[in-house]
Amino acid sequence: MLITFQLVLNGLALGMAYALVALGFVLALNASGAVNFAHGDLVVLGGAVAVLLASWLALPGFLLLPLVALALAGAGVLAAHVAILPLARRPPEATFVATIALAAIIEQTLTVTMGAAPRTAPPFLGSGAVTIAGEPLGLQPLAIVIVGAVLVAALWFLLERTQVGRRMRAVAADRHMARAVGIPVRRYVTLSLALSGALAGIAGFLLGHQFLVTPTQGAGHMLKAYIAVALGGWGSVPGALIGALAIGIFETFVSAEVGDAWASAALYIAVLLVLTLRPRGLFGEPLGQRA
Amino acid sequence: MAERLATLVGIYALLGLGYQIVFGQLRALNLAQGALFGVGAYATALTGPQLGPFALLIAPLAAAAVAALAAPPMLRLQSHYFALATLALASLINLVAVNAENLTGGANGLVGFGLGLPKGPTLAALVWLVLVVAVIAYASVFRAAIGEKARLLRDAPLVAASLGVDGALWRFLAFVIGGACAGLAGGFSAALTGVVSPEATGFSIMLLCLTAVVVGGARHPLGAVLGAAVAVLLPELFRGLQGSWLLAYAAATLAVVLWAPEGLAGLFTRRDAMPIPLAAAPVSAARRLALDHVSKRFGGVEALRDVSFTVERGEIVGLIGPNGSGKTTLLNAISGLARADSGTIALDSLHLERLAAHAIARRGIGRTFQAPIEGETRGAGLARALATGAAFLLLDEPAAGMTDRERDLLAGQLRGLRRDRGIILVDHDVELLTRVCDRLVCLDGGKVIASGTPAEVRADPRVRASFLGLPA
Repeated sequence: MLITFQLVLNGLALGMAYALVALGFVLALNASGAVNFAHGDLVVLGGAVAVLLASWLALPGFLLLPLVALALAGAGVLAAHVAILPLARRPPEATFVATIALAAIIEQTLTVTMGAAPRTAPPFLGSGAVTIAGEPLGLQPLAIVIVGAVLVAALWFLLERTQVGRRMRAVAADRHMARAVGIPVRRYVTLSLALSGALAGIAGFLLGHQFLVTPTQGAGHMLKAYIAVALGGWGSVPGALIGALAIGIFETFVSAEVGDAWASAALYIAVLLVLTLRPRGLFGEPLGQRA
Repeated sequence: MAERLATLVGIYALLGLGYQIVFGQLRALNLAQGALFGVGAYATALTGPQLGPFALLIAPLAAAAVAALAAPPMLRLQSHYFALATLALASLINLVAVNAENLTGGANGLVGFGLGLPKGPTLAALVWLVLVVAVIAYASVFRAAIGEKARLLRDAPLVAASLGVDGALWRFLAFVIGGACAGLAGGFSAALTGVVSPEATGFSIMLLCLTAVVVGGARHPLGAVLGAAVAVLLPELFRGLQGSWLLAYAAATLAVVLWAPEGLAGLFTRRDAMPIPLAAAPVSAARRLALDHVSKRFGGVEALRDVSFTVERGEIVGLIGPNGSGKTTLLNAISGLARADSGTIALDSLHLERLAAHAIARRGIGRTFQAPIEGETRGAGLARALATGAAFLLLDEPAAGMTDRERDLLAGQLRGLRRDRGIILVDHDVELLTRVCDRLVCLDGGKVIASGTPAEVRADPRVRASFLGLPA
């Protein structure tokens, strides 16, 4: 295999986009204590909103991004109120099933409104390439890596250095204790879902230029995030980041060598092997038993 | 046309019925049920040319074989990892269907595999015959005792283990039998359509199965049938809507999860309380429970240090000690919920230290837990432990939250139970223990600091200082 800078950059970009998906997934997971199966469809929805906005407004991609983030934050809040908060006292499987239904609702709505044909989301800066040190590098993958890195740093700052982030972590660690010390848990669950939706939307926007936007992609995005979080340690934010980067780089290199089908097969087999050998994920669980 | 719809309802109902066993009864979020349907469809299509109608028998066998091979590592996983592992398995099966073109025909799938089975009424009758038998079998299996054990396994797995229910075996059987139902449904579907494509292994079948079971009622014997009827017939009624019926169906599923958790079937059945059979006398013949130098560490904390004492049938031993002194850990070690690091725990001559919790329960040790199961009355835990026919009872704070009058009643009950049983009783109420116990054992920091008659132990200076808070 010829390892070029472009291939490395593509791997990093895919990994960074997956990381945004996985970080949103883990924020929602920690806030609600349950898997949000509709998370992948929020990613697709982000791509679709970007396509729609680009057709209405003649704005460059980097100005569309905050609008997409805002719209999907709203979608996250809606998801929290429809499928997560009402089921807080029920077994986690109830949320799982409710969000599976929500995923189907989003997918079918998109199929009905935009049709099954793939659409192209606008690029963040442009769709060309820049030449750095004699190497042509795609503008979009470069933009994904940079935007992703900025967002990851911002998320780290929010969670580790602000009172809001501390409270979000408190809700994640023990919702009953958090409530006992006066944290309005429902409000923080809603906030987490808003952030989660915004990250999903941005990821969908960034992925939608190279990989197009198709209503049926949601389950695939969700599965990647799910795998990243399970491998990285259930509930661990840095684990999700590392897991997603690893999956993106793995997929890019393996599919460049042996094709997409084998890359996916290798990923699924790796997941089954890891769960067989380490039933609590590669790095264990930071928060103990949860579902 | 009507036959075709009836056949489809029957096929999806069979798929859903299998799913009810694993998802409804055991609450295991298996996301491979749809892919196992596909395995059955392909198995029928591949063996049809040689076996004719008997290819339908291969379908459940193939799906059950895949399920049984995949099950052992997956069934150990907790709910979210189990869901992920089954999703990965399903994705893998789908990849094989799409890409192994020599075997599966790739994206085009397989056609022209004559099963020599007349379609139309014959197939419809066959499908419904199988379905009716399966529904009756499901209803009779999950009535009464087995249904009650499944409920405990869902809601309180530790309690189930303490009653002798082998959860791992149950989950394995449910996964494999449920998978076999999916496979047979897939085989019927291949017979009905005459085409098998990768779609048969795709997530949309899984989604259909899950939503049908949730909408119909995840545990009710007719839940899957109702759900499948809605899933197949509604889109026929609303043909004008085209794709939107899927949207309506997904919205209906969400509404059912939110407002009618027992599904459509639950709307017109009322829940009957399940009678728990009470064994009048202990079944087990064991005479004596002996602990010898039992130790247990959690990380750096020594939860139990060299604990030794015996309980004979016909006596009540009270276990006292401050919070965190190791009382519940000791009960867990005896009942197999926690492994002792060293020492022996023996029922007569039978060593219990290496046995699984359900196996220990079957040898005649019953126990209760501090926290009651939601929606149960206080005596339910004790009744359940008695119903196992246990000769030895481990009771963890049975008097917590009781009024004085209830405590008097409990003391009377315990004296009655003592006649032919041995009891270890953990409680903070030293007055109650003094009244009913033959001996007391006091733990502190995981060590036995005193044991003897209640009067002796209560007079012990260390007990007075560490536990009773009295001057030595």
